[in-house]
Amino acid sequence: MRARASAAVCAAFAAALALAQLLQPGLPLYHGWQYALALALLLTVALTYVVPAARGRDGRPGRPLALALGGLCLAGAGGLASGLLGPDTTAIAGTPGTVVPIPALGVAAFFPAASAADVAAGGASVALRRRGAPERVVSPDGNADLGESVVFLRQRPAAFVEAYDGRGGRLTVTQPAATAFLSPVLLFRERQRIGSVDVPLDTFAVPALHRVVHALYFTPADLAAFGHAGLAASSPALVLSAADDAGRPLGIALAPSGRTVDIAGMRVRAGVGTYPVLEVASAPSPWLLYPAALLFVAGVAWAGLASRRPEPATVAEQSRTATSPDAATGGTASVPTT
Amino acid sequence: MRRLLVVLGLLLVPTACYNTPDAAGAASGGPGGLAGAPAQSFAVRRIDGGTDALANYRGRVVLMNLWATWCPPCQEEMPALERFAREEAGKVVVLGIDQGESASAARRYALAHGVTFPILVDDRQEYGRAYAALGLPTSVVVSRDGRVVKGVDGPMTVAQMRAAVAPALK
Repeated sequence: MRARASAAVCAAFAAALALAQLLQPGLPLYHGWQYALALALLLTVALTYVVPAARGRDGRPGRPLALALGGLCLAGAGGLASGLLGPDTTAIAGTPGTVVPIPALGVAAFFPAASAADVAAGGASVALRRRGAPERVVSPDGNADLGESVVFLRQRPAAFVEAYDGRGGRLTVTQPAATAFLSPVLLFRERQRIGSVDVPLDTFAVPALHRVVHALYFTPADLAAFGHAGLAASSPALVLSAADDAGRPLGIALAPSGRTVDIAGMRVRAGVGTYPVLEVASAPSPWLLYPAALLFVAGVAWAGLASRRPEPATVAEQSRTATSPDAATGGTASVPTT
Repeated sequence: MRRLLVVLGLLLVPTACYNTPDAAGAASGGPGGLAGAPAQSFAVRRIDGGTDALANYRGRVVLMNLWATWCPPCQEEMPALERFAREEAGKVVVLGIDQGESASAARRYALAHGVTFPILVDDRQEYGRAYAALGLPTSVVVSRDGRVVKGVDGPMTVAQMRAAVAPALK
């Protein structure tokens, strides 16, 4: 009885650890040795009961239980395999308005175009398209299962920058160091340490005026930590540091989201918020999970049916029944003697 | 107990080859990698008023040129582009798409330099992003059925423009 209980608990934990890869994907934990060791131990304890029980060593109730626990163990094994052998979590940072092919999944990710207001609002979704298949949209609060991978979004700092000359004429913004040269959307792929705060950093240029501008991204919490007055605590902001082509500093300005600021002879406005990064994490194979679920359901159903049927009497019980007063007096004996 | 240890050992063997997580970068590329892809189109302003988009030229071969008034290589390429547009007027549409500037700046430049082909103003730089421009100028040849035939980073001569559109004219 105690072996049954411990096997059931271990198998359930193993399956739960495996399913966690689907519900909370992309955690580094799944590729760590601690996760693998925990699953291995749980599966070992469960299998030391399941294998003998399947052979009938735990009597009749042991077989359906072994089937159900076998299903849970199969799910756990799927989690162990994907954690050990599956690819590491990959981040795909697409520039707004671009298409990024993901050959490993056979899909193309469509990163939506974003205006300054869109970036400030955040919450953009990414569409996945595969030839001959319907489009799948990955929303900020949802995942998409693609075979042995789970795809999900992570929001990261972003800012849509617009620059104007003194007469209000619009100026081209470029990112010479980024993959998207002509994108006015900064994705802050670098970081800079300021005091105790690690701040996202990006750089853009305004070639028409020969300006290079470093932008530091400050969250409302960062702003509060620095004690900057006069800013809405709910909105992030950029600290802009401008220089000319030769690197001579031309000024620093704080640019709250949506507000136009003057710096280095130009006017700059930034919509500061977030833009998603697509993350691809390994997950237990559906070729293991579906049979595992089937085995579990079959085992539970079998156990349910078996519990409704009366247990066949043993030979000793039968012989007692044959000589019982009920039988002698023509009463109803439950099992006929044969 | 011995069996338990054997099972445990078998389960633990693969832990020797576990992976460590890391974060990979994003896609790179450039306009050259877009050949064969559907040509993306965005409605933007024309310097002579109204709106226009690449999609409006479906059925014709288009040489789309992303440029800006401040860009020296674009300025150098512009006379060749104008000459190509005149000489191939019946066969190819040249479409200039200014990146990130105001319509007035692009209009002033076009008038000053005698540019006669259509100029669009993409102030949100959507074309530049969609066509993975690595710099300016960037040219993209689009076939009659709206697919990218070739993407070219940097200025071209008239001969190079003819060679670039030749596959689309077949």
